[in-house]
Amino acid sequence: MKTEGSEVILSINNVSKSFPGVKALDEVSIDVQRGTVHGIVGENGAGKSTLMKILSGVYQKDSGTVVFDGKQIEHTTPYQSMQSGLAIIYQELNLVNTMSVGENIFLGRFREMKGMKGTHAKARELLDSIACKVSTTKLVSELSVSEKQMVEIAKALSFKSKLIIMDEPSSSLTSEEMCQLVKIINQLKEQGISIIYISHKLDEIFEFCDIVSVMRDGHVIDTKEKSAFTRQELITKMVGRTIENEYPPRPLCVGDTLMEVHSINTHKLHDLSFTLNKGEILGLMGLVGAGRTEIVRALFGADKVRGHRVLIEGKPTVIRNPKDAKDAGFGFIPEDRKLQGLILPFSVESNISMASIRKFSRLGFLRKSLEKDIGARQVKALAVKTPSTKTAVRNLSGGNQQKCIVGRWMETSPRIFIMDEPTKGIDVGAKYEIYNLMKHIVEHGGAIILISSELPEVLNMSNRVLTIFEGRITGEFDPQKASVNEIMGAALGIVEGCV
Amino acid sequence: MQKRNSVLKVTASMLRDYLVLVMIALLVAVTAIVEPKFMSGANLVNIMRQFGPLIMVSLGMTFVIIGGFIDLSVAGTINLVAVVTISLIQPLGQVPALLVGLLIGAVCGALNSGVILSSGALTQAEALFLTFGMSTVYSALALLYSHGSTMHFWDIQKSKSIFEAIGAGRAGPLPLSFVIFLVILALLWIFQTKTTEGRAISLTGGNKTAAHLSGVNISRAIVVVYTICGFMAGVGAIVLFSRITTAAPVIGAGYETNAILSVVVGGTTLKGGKGSVLRTVMGVLLVILMSNCLDLLGVSTYLQVVVKGAILVVAIWLDNRKQA
Ligand SMILES: Nc1ncnc2c1ncn2[C@@H]1O[C@H](COP(=O)(O)OP(=O)(O)OP(=O)(O)O)[C@@H](O)[C@H]1O
Ligand SMILES: [Mg+2]
Repeated sequence: MKTEGSEVILSINNVSKSFPGVKALDEVSIDVQRGTVHGIVGENGAGKSTLMKILSGVYQKDSGTVVFDGKQIEHTTPYQSMQSGLAIIYQELNLVNTMSVGENIFLGRFREMKGMKGTHAKARELLDSIACKVSTTKLVSELSVSEKQMVEIAKALSFKSKLIIMDEPSSSLTSEEMCQLVKIINQLKEQGISIIYISHKLDEIFEFCDIVSVMRDGHVIDTKEKSAFTRQELITKMVGRTIENEYPPRPLCVGDTLMEVHSINTHKLHDLSFTLNKGEILGLMGLVGAGRTEIVRALFGADKVRGHRVLIEGKPTVIRNPKDAKDAGFGFIPEDRKLQGLILPFSVESNISMASIRKFSRLGFLRKSLEKDIGARQVKALAVKTPSTKTAVRNLSGGNQQKCIVGRWMETSPRIFIMDEPTKGIDVGAKYEIYNLMKHIVEHGGAIILISSELPEVLNMSNRVLTIFEGRITGEFDPQKASVNEIMGAALGIVEGCV
Repeated sequence: MQKRNSVLKVTASMLRDYLVLVMIALLVAVTAIVEPKFMSGANLVNIMRQFGPLIMVSLGMTFVIIGGFIDLSVAGTINLVAVVTISLIQPLGQVPALLVGLLIGAVCGALNSGVILSSGALTQAEALFLTFGMSTVYSALALLYSHGSTMHFWDIQKSKSIFEAIGAGRAGPLPLSFVIFLVILALLWIFQTKTTEGRAISLTGGNKTAAHLSGVNISRAIVVVYTICGFMAGVGAIVLFSRITTAAPVIGAGYETNAILSVVVGGTTLKGGKGSVLRTVMGVLLVILMSNCLDLLGVSTYLQVVVKGAILVVAIWLDNRKQA
């Protein structure tokens, strides 16, 4: 499978790794060529992130060999692997929020940079090289997700990396930001840098990867040139069965008004009003920072917003906090699963049950057998891959963690389900299952407000799309009738995107 | 080989979990050999008596720490409750005095949570400073109230039988204060592990944002943990002055650090979310046995403070490694 004249920068041979109760990697072998973009796809829990963490020295392999840049790698630490030219950008970004951009890029190496002045100057140079305009003195906590990613890339470049691993870098990027990332990836490739690119978005895999490996259940199923794969084939190899359509047929049972929202005003949102109908999936589209998340957070009572009016089935409803919202039948999947969704050291079971405590308690006492049933039910319904419901949720793969949050709210049978990036990091097969759950909710008289940076997801699932630009609603579309360009035009305001 | 590895890992984690028990056993064994007086009846009763006040305060502190916060105000609360309660026995009678004392403890705790909630200081570090400030306030009130003087039991003409019983009475073979401790422990354990509010507290400590966004009433959880902590500080104050039969307005000094030390050494994580009142019992036992051993071995008080500090650092270090 080696192409003529190419040079292998990284060779992984028969690597295995077990965790208590799971064999995460089983005799995995992959070769990565110099100057190529090597895509890795696979189901949630297939072992992609684990393999990358072995490469970067976070985990140690149980057996097998890894040869990087002609040298065999045995026990490395993350710092050593960085120094040897292997950089990794994790699924969950890893910057120090309270430090500046420049400081983050050269963390722990200020002396080499001859103090802060040198640090910032060199950081500027690196950021310029990837056309990133962020100031080096800005605090990381003030950056958007994509800007943080740029900083991570600059940090990788600062080590003169020969191989950069990107573990689901795009799961929180909008399409414009994605364009920027693609440009950078191509640029890095021209400089002879190899990239391992992990993603659940097959469009990206086909857009700019050269070679693709498919993983399933800790095995590499296949490695081929991208052009040798068809999309269908790739999906089948990933999930082990054929999936005819990536989206189920759109639910078509839109009924009367379920909720009216009148004039939400915050410093970011301007006099926003809209309605939500029974049996409807309402998509919100816009750039990052357009205010989509602010709208749903205000509705759910997550931010203190006053002055707006909400009518549910004609009745004025006051929602001061998430608890009021839950009592009024809301469900809410937040955009950041690690910070806002999960309690990482807690078990899968208690993460799932935490929104429905009332369901398994009587007179203020917990009934743990009922809680167990709840956990088991949702783990089964969403096919969460975990050794047991008592496993700490931090030990699950990213996609399986996300499923726990979906399950948490499914258990409450929400009537108005707010989903902010619900399928973030979820594989193609499991996405389909979640779409079916969404369908189930709306077919039983509920409604969903959907925010997603994945354009096809919004367009294929929504009955109606609202475009938001700079805190205002700029358009309302029927995605079955309107063209993508029309919708995107409204979502981008006057800005011309690279759709 | 893999099997052996995982067996090793499991043993290591068990050892870490039950490290306190191992250390307690070691301490007892070593001291008993070096200093035979350690196992004498008089010394054992002495240990049980020391157990009383610290365990009460530490049990309350456990809830605050599981909830993801910290409470430095318990020293001030103890000072205030002690001087007010003892002074009220004469004018009001012992039962009202007792009730007022417990109420003051709970109110101090609730006040702490009120300050924290209204200032929006939802991090442990902010709570540290705020409750430190509150501690000074309560201590100052205690000083003002008592004019800085120490009250003694023998100054009180009215009946003080309840307090005398708490301080020195027995229920069968056990000191009465020990029986009170067992009852309170059982109640708190049930509250922590079996009730919805107990769960809400753990969830809040595990991740405040996630708990809030899942509709858990985190404000109520915060009020509850601080109120319990204040109340238990009040109980501790009463057990303490009953035992030593006097109450000075500085009687509670050092209890906040010893309580936090006991909770953390017992294995409740300072990061919040995970922990148990049972672990705290082990932590208190270790801390008290240690002071007792060091006393018996003639180690100076200053050095004892150093040892305690070192143990706290080690406990936090171990806890961090467990999380990683
Ligand atoms: N630290 C850990 N302890 C125990 N099990 C783990 C740990 N890390 C990963 N696993 C398990 O190893 C398997 C592979 O996980 P991994 O994170 O590599 O999946 P992934 O392919 O990256 O999935 P995703 O697409 O969801 O990110 C999963 O079953 C997961 O539960
Ligand atoms: Mg992963």
